[in-house]
Amino acid sequence: MKKQTMYFRMIISSLIRRRSRMLVALLAVAIGATVLSGLVTIYYNIPRQMRQEFRSYGANLIFVPTGGDSAINEDEMKKATELIPAEDIVGIAPYRYETIKINEQPFMAAGTDLEQVKKTSPYWFVSGTWPAGSGSVLIGQEVADLIGLLPGSSFTMTGTDSTGKGFGRDFTVSGIVQTGGTEEAFLFLSLSDLEGLMGNSGELDVVECSISAPQATLEGIVRQVGENVEGVTPRLVKRVADSEGTVLTKLQALVYLVTVVVLLLTMICVATTMMAVVAERRREIGLKKALGASNQSIVMEFLGEGLFLGALGGLLGVALGFAFAQTVSMNVFTRSISFQPLLIPATLAVSIAITGLACLIPVRSTTDVDPAIVLRGE
Amino acid sequence: MFWRMVKGALFRQKGKMLMIAFTIALGASLATAMLNVMLDVGDKVNQELKTYGANINVMPKGASLLDDLYGVAEGSGVSDQYLKESELGNIKTIFWAFNIVDFTPYLDTKVKLNSQDGEVKLIGTWFQHHLDLPTGESLDTGMKNMKSWWDVSGQWLTDQDEASAMVGSLIAGRNDLQVGDTIEIEVGGQTKKLTVKSIFNAGSDEDEQIYVPLQIAQELTGRAGQISRVEVSALTTPDNELSRRAAQNIKSLSIKEYEIWYCTAYVSSICYQIEEVITDSVAKPIRQVAESEGAILEKTQLLMLLITILSLVGSALGISNLVTASVMERSREIGLLKAVGAHNSPISWLVLTEILVTAVVGGVVGYFAGLGFAQLIGHSVFGSAIEIKPLVIPLVAVLVALVTLAGSIPSIRLLLSLRPAEVLHGR
Repeated sequence: MKKQTMYFRMIISSLIRRRSRMLVALLAVAIGATVLSGLVTIYYNIPRQMRQEFRSYGANLIFVPTGGDSAINEDEMKKATELIPAEDIVGIAPYRYETIKINEQPFMAAGTDLEQVKKTSPYWFVSGTWPAGSGSVLIGQEVADLIGLLPGSSFTMTGTDSTGKGFGRDFTVSGIVQTGGTEEAFLFLSLSDLEGLMGNSGELDVVECSISAPQATLEGIVRQVGENVEGVTPRLVKRVADSEGTVLTKLQALVYLVTVVVLLLTMICVATTMMAVVAERRREIGLKKALGASNQSIVMEFLGEGLFLGALGGLLGVALGFAFAQTVSMNVFTRSISFQPLLIPATLAVSIAITGLACLIPVRSTTDVDPAIVLRGE
Repeated sequence: MFWRMVKGALFRQKGKMLMIAFTIALGASLATAMLNVMLDVGDKVNQELKTYGANINVMPKGASLLDDLYGVAEGSGVSDQYLKESELGNIKTIFWAFNIVDFTPYLDTKVKLNSQDGEVKLIGTWFQHHLDLPTGESLDTGMKNMKSWWDVSGQWLTDQDEASAMVGSLIAGRNDLQVGDTIEIEVGGQTKKLTVKSIFNAGSDEDEQIYVPLQIAQELTGRAGQISRVEVSALTTPDNELSRRAAQNIKSLSIKEYEIWYCTAYVSSICYQIEEVITDSVAKPIRQVAESEGAILEKTQLLMLLITILSLVGSALGISNLVTASVMERSREIGLLKAVGAHNSPISWLVLTEILVTAVVGGVVGYFAGLGFAQLIGHSVFGSAIEIKPLVIPLVAVLVALVTLAGSIPSIRLLLSLRPAEVLHGR
């Protein structure tokens, strides 16, 4: 008991007596630990955060009816979407296409859930506003050019419903959509409006899903839906799903390599600083040896100091590193990141190991030296 | 005498100075590698994002996309407008020619397959076409480069294949076609037999289409030298407020703004320049690709910038720390110098010069090591070299100088305030 108390007293007083040096060492360890925990947190969060960004490319999975002319009904859609993990869903937009006429010219009208379309197709450029409520439509640029409509103007939509009767209803243009693709020749209105016009429901032509998940998960969903839901054929949008995989792998590899290089260099920096701080205590070691201390007890004392510094610096680093990763995530992705509890022991272990090792190297070389020579200053 | 003292100090404490030089070299190599990678990451990621395909669609003026509406509206609003194949090379002569990665022309037509009812889409295109430009350059471009996500069983066509076709997986499935089978297509009374050279799965409408070399489609339709659209894949700068204004109305820009816009690789200015060189054409950005590329590019660059800052600050603090530690260690020596009558300023200069000489050696070694690191990252991640930016050299030099000065000045001041008698006595 006595021996241990003395041991702790030696370590603590040595830390306090040499305050400025120890602060320098502590700072070095804390910086190393900050870089470690910050970069590793970012590295683990990148795929999740970037995947969210990649969702701006639009749907990566679509459901189409099995067989030629049939349609998906709402039950089938519900059953299929329930197989997708809820937390991965960015948006699910059902589409029903019907031919309608404006001024006796045929156009394609798409009935959909426009709130969901905003999420599945964030790249749509709408001049005007998105339709809110019944009676307003979004029209493609092509349509607008052809019949000369502007946001705010109204027109009559005519056609024949599912039973063969004619209909006519007035709609207001709320906005004009530009995509550079085929959507520019469509009209978009809410699904309930289109169903009201056509007089029947549950006739979806396609369901677009934007899912934030790696390709393996997507393929799993495709398999499950294909097996379990009749009447629905899931198809991966290869252009989006494949390319996302390629680019994401590269990005992650880049951050991984950068993390490894930065960590390596920071750890060496920490080690050299610790070595410099310890190496200047050759005289102290010599004096202790001259007073009869064994090599082992000297090593133990330095190790104790190192461990203490490592633990304290590591703790500081965990907190600072998380703060840094959070700042990066808020600035880059405007989303917060989850804390990885496993990082606390990992960072502590690494910083303790590095400081311990960095203390031992100079101490070892000094303990072999004859105390008389060290004390004389040679 | 001054230099002899510096030299003496450097050589006497060889081990310690080597350690400082080594750490500075590490820091400088880190800075060099990170800055080079950061400055080049935009171009690299941009190249990667090209796997998403074309971001610009060029069509004849007045042509309608109505044809694409699941085959409806045939006849109404569909005009017989075409672009000239001979003008395609011009795309590579615009101001931003270097940013045009690939382009592919298409000629669309509808054919009867194996005398069945209903029509399928037949598309003539370039697969891998060699083009000699009027400027004397030559390039290979075509669909093979642009549709990297296609899953092709069998072989890609070449432009010389006269009697072969690539068939979409949905058509192949419906008609029970295998690679090697023969199909018969009929258009406008003409028939032609083609061998199925490959079946592809594109995961989109293209699976319902048949692809043949451009000249075959031109022969079948009797439209020699004509094409219905061009897909262009270009490296672009993310849109900003200026480019959005220009996209809405070019006339709203002042002359200076117009010049800035024209000379920046915005997708809208590239579109504008393509319209200038292809007669009666409309170039439209495919927003799905163009917009998303911009967003991802910006995020990646910002992310790399922040990581670079973290690692630079980290290594800067680490190095100043080490410098501080090693200067503090020399309290006895400085005490002795003061005791024999040296003034404060020569002592400071002496210590500073020593540290700076070490820093310069470390910095130069570190710069070249950093170039190595950058290439390592470039080759292992992107499979291509990272471009070396001369801008990095002054940045690293300033950084190293600042870091060593910041590390040594406070500790020198601390040492100068010590009283020689106390230091020498060992307290």
